[in-house]
Amino acid sequence: PWLQDFIDLTLSKTQRKTPTVIHKHYQIHRIRHFYMRKVKYTQQNYHDRLTQILTDFPKLDDIHPFYADLMNVLYDKDHYKLALGQINIAKNLIDNVAKDYVRLMKYGDSLYRCKQLKRAALGRMCTIIKRQKQSLEYLEQVRQHLSRLPTIDPNTRTLLLCGYPNVGKSSFINKVTRADVEVQPYAFTTKSLFVGHMDYKYLRWQVVDTPGILDHPLEDRNTIEMQAITALAHLRAAVLYVMDVSEQCGHSLEEQVELFRNIKPLFANKPLIIVANKCDVKRIAELPEESQKIFETFEAEGFSVIETSTLTEEGVIQVKTEACDRLLAHRVDTKMKGNKVNDVLNRLHLAMPNRRDNKERLPFIPEGAVARKKRMEVSTPRRKLERDLELEMGDDYILDLQKYWDLMNSSEKYDKIPEIWEGHNILDYIDPDIMRKLEELEKEEELREAAGEYDSEPESEDEEMMEIRRLAQQIREKKKLKILQSKEKDTRGPRMPRTAKKVERKVLEKEMTDLGLDMTNKDDAHYVRRSRSVTRKRKRDESETPKSAARSRSSSRTPRDVSGLRDEKMVKKVKVMAKKAQKKMNRLGKKGESDRHIFNLKPKHLLAGKRKSGKTQRR
Amino acid sequence: QPQNEHIELHRRRYGYRLDHHERRRKKEGREAHERSRRAKKMIGLKAKLYHKQRHAEKIQMKKTLKMHEKRNTKEKNDEKTPKGAVPAYLLDREGQSRAKVLSNMIKQKRKEKAGKWEVPVPKVRAQGETEVLKVIRTGKRKKKAWKRMVTKVCFVGDGFTRKPPKYERFIRPMGLRFKKAHVTHPELKATFCLPILGVKKNPSSPLYTTLGVITKGTVIEVNVSELGLVTQGGKVIWGKYAQVTNNPENDGCINAVLLV
Repeated sequence: PWLQDFIDLTLSKTQRKTPTVIHKHYQIHRIRHFYMRKVKYTQQNYHDRLTQILTDFPKLDDIHPFYADLMNVLYDKDHYKLALGQINIAKNLIDNVAKDYVRLMKYGDSLYRCKQLKRAALGRMCTIIKRQKQSLEYLEQVRQHLSRLPTIDPNTRTLLLCGYPNVGKSSFINKVTRADVEVQPYAFTTKSLFVGHMDYKYLRWQVVDTPGILDHPLEDRNTIEMQAITALAHLRAAVLYVMDVSEQCGHSLEEQVELFRNIKPLFANKPLIIVANKCDVKRIAELPEESQKIFETFEAEGFSVIETSTLTEEGVIQVKTEACDRLLAHRVDTKMKGNKVNDVLNRLHLAMPNRRDNKERLPFIPEGAVARKKRMEVSTPRRKLERDLELEMGDDYILDLQKYWDLMNSSEKYDKIPEIWEGHNILDYIDPDIMRKLEELEKEEELREAAGEYDSEPESEDEEMMEIRRLAQQIREKKKLKILQSKEKDTRGPRMPRTAKKVERKVLEKEMTDLGLDMTNKDDAHYVRRSRSVTRKRKRDESETPKSAARSRSSSRTPRDVSGLRDEKMVKKVKVMAKKAQKKMNRLGKKGESDRHIFNLKPKHLLAGKRKSGKTQRR
Repeated sequence: QPQNEHIELHRRRYGYRLDHHERRRKKEGREAHERSRRAKKMIGLKAKLYHKQRHAEKIQMKKTLKMHEKRNTKEKNDEKTPKGAVPAYLLDREGQSRAKVLSNMIKQKRKEKAGKWEVPVPKVRAQGETEVLKVIRTGKRKKKAWKRMVTKVCFVGDGFTRKPPKYERFIRPMGLRFKKAHVTHPELKATFCLPILGVKKNPSSPLYTTLGVITKGTVIEVNVSELGLVTQGGKVIWGKYAQVTNNPENDGCINAVLLV
């Protein structure tokens, strides 16, 4: 499926990115150029993709031999190189095909002929790619696996764990670093290399966990074991050979020693430590005599044997420090023997101050530091803390601060303290000076008040706030009045809604004046009933009717642009809104809302160019 | 850093999300709707390709379904009736079959008289001069038009050297000269890329044969030593005739069928 997508993608890209319109009557050189462009474009695309694949994969000759070997073990160097070679060949073939067909197209004298040649060229290129299916699938798998490999720096400080399967290497690395390697009771739980990092002496250390190695000759080893062997062979690291003293891994001690002897050549030039793991189950001292002798021979040969238990964590730190120290010493040694050191050494110079007289000046160390150092060395047991007590008692622990109280009569520690005694409040007598302190506090308060610290600022409120406060006060009073009024009302049975009643003119005018509205202009009011004589008189006068009718209407009703509006502010806002609504029409030169005349029926941006997925409406 | 199989490790340790299986089930259930929505929404060339592919898939599905259905039903078996078994009302009619045989024989005799060979491409469209040869104008004022350039694929032999350019009438451009042909063996059904030895006959005109123009239907001679054919006498065959089956100028290659 990935291959099919690759081909589809390239072909559709060619179709989209090159011009698509061509006619028979065009000039022949234009037709030729059109089709040649398509062929070249496809060729370019394939070429780019394949070169990218070729460059992204690491060349086995250019990378560190550790990784080269690892990749050989995992992916089989021959197969890998073959696959990449095939891709390279395919790339060259595609280039050649494109070249040939472009050459042929120069002699094409009709649209049909050029088109057929282009079709043949593209078809040929796609078949070449189709033939590479196997290689591409293999490379895809390699790529996915390669991306998950742990990054092991071959040049930095490394500790390597090796031994039989199931001895406790993964548990060790879990304890020492933050790596989370699977630990299970069956053998070969770890199937590939894992790396973890830890700190010691302000330096970063790598710890590499390997799958277990069984004891058979090199040729018989399978991929998993070969990875461990590769790591052993190439990484310059301190080797921790882990052994299982209790023989829980399923292999006896003799077998483990046998394995050790067999892979000893791989340990050349590497500081080696033998880790006797699972000592919580069985200690070396508990072993029979022959096994103890084996360990003694190890010690005699110069390899330190350290007992550890990853369960109880004893000895783990010891192993760590020992291994790190030895590796550091080893590395420093090799560096000193090398050539680069001289460059550095020549530049280093320790300056010692010249003595100006014969007086001895010793370094000054304060007493406290000396005492502390002594204490640290001796490690006197510190006093038992509450925390220790808590840990000891577990669930039974109760925080009991009263036992630290210092009373004259120590048996009274747990007595209850009364609140009132002989008519006095006990809290008043906590402090002998309490009255004096109270007086002082009060004096201070008086001073403060006199200074005006608690006064509210009168100028912080501006006019608006004052206005609002006044209004609020009014509203509150009015509300109280209304409540009283409604309470006094004597309502029995169902009540008519307020809107059903007629509002008397007097009541209306009174209410509005109370609210602050100006009700003196009675002529403009809409509710004023005209006397009959006035209207009759107006009707008779013909010549005057239009003017007077207009005037009467205007005098009886509010003008349309201010009707329904409360105050000046609202009138202004309404005017602004009206103007804004007209802006768009004015800008487009429309006569009004209903003017829908289009000035340009065939705009160029909608009708020129390629039509793509029905987007001619806006583009 | 996530190492090796961290995804599987995490799954083994912490299991799946609480709603993982439900979500997976629902997603799979939605597949049909997604597919139909995609099929409806697609337009253009992509849609055509997709619909073609989908059509092929559906045909396959229908076939498998039918196969499964067929297993359970009984079918009429045509093989049990022997050949030549004729229903009762046709028993008298014998003369017809013989008549057909006779007419076939007459046809074959006619063919032999004409001396036609059996070739894979018997009839070929004749190609006129204007199609095959293009007029090249030469001269100081480009008025002379006696030169011709071949526009079709041609074959020139190994020892070919051009006539002096001033005198050559027919130009065979290097870009259109081919040396190899893809020849299919009709019985083996295998195709080989064999070098051409020469052009035997071009059906359109003897002029083209002498020029070496290869068009559809041309009989060419190819070097078959690669196939390793041997005569009855023990001699190795190394040249055979083949007929061209495609238009080489349109495809950029010469496809031919071996004449056995």
